[in-house]
Amino acid sequence: MENAQHIIDATQEIFSSMIMLEVAPGESFIRNNDKLINSISGIVGLAGATKGMLAIHMTNAAALAVTTAFLGMDVEEIDDDVRDAIGELANMLAGSIKSILDPSGSDIKLSMPSAIYGEDYSVDCLAGAQAVTVPFTFDGLGFLVELQLRKDS
Amino acid sequence: MGKTVLIVDDSNTMRKIVSRALRQAGIDFSTILEASDGQEALDVLSANDVDVVLSDINMPNMNGLEFLKAKSEIAAIKDIPVVMISTETGADIIDEAKSYGAKGAIKKPFTPDLINETLGALL
Repeated sequence: MENAQHIIDATQEIFSSMIMLEVAPGESFIRNNDKLINSISGIVGLAGATKGMLAIHMTNAAALAVTTAFLGMDVEEIDDDVRDAIGELANMLAGSIKSILDPSGSDIKLSMPSAIYGEDYSVDCLAGAQAVTVPFTFDGLGFLVELQLRKDS
Repeated sequence: MGKTVLIVDDSNTMRKIVSRALRQAGIDFSTILEASDGQEALDVLSANDVDVVLSDINMPNMNGLEFLKAKSEIAAIKDIPVVMISTETGADIIDEAKSYGAKGAIKKPFTPDLINETLGALL
């Protein structure tokens, strides 16, 4: 699972250098579009020679803890700061993955990051894509990083 | 005398993170200005004395490359150095940015030391 290792490397680097949090990866799996409960997802689309998406799915509790650490100030509810921070995390993760898949930077285009959240929602898979999800934990909390890729021939 | 820097990024979070990293980098910035896209950055540059610009690439309205191109056509601000700070640091994109006058690129994620090293050479 080469892509799983790319996710682990990028996620640990970003959390360590930008948020000062050490995160521990678990065993990668295929998420099968399971529903997300009381969560927020930051999503970046990939277009071009390789299509797909990079998403980071966090429980609300994890998102509040990460945003608090990211901004260096207390955050107590899912607000614009949290949505922006989780979207920006997805953006950095997608950029790191892109730099591995497309060193020249011209074959894959990244979308602007977006964030969705709610009590009960799902994030659809790209048809025909290879998908992998890696769970991470920190301070008793957890989140998922999911990568879906489809290379058009 | 302290320097003035302009941070251009559509993410409010990232502007805060870059601002914090600038303070940690040890460069004497007396004023940190912010803009959320290229057009706003042009307006800020026209109204203030700015020593250096740190600009994202992937932004709505006017992106970082469009900002560089527009800035290069305005005599009063064209010589203010710009460093790109972005997740987009592929060779082709950076070459394009440099063709419009960018002086360097910092990849997100970044450290205060990297910002110090990159900006220190320009100030």
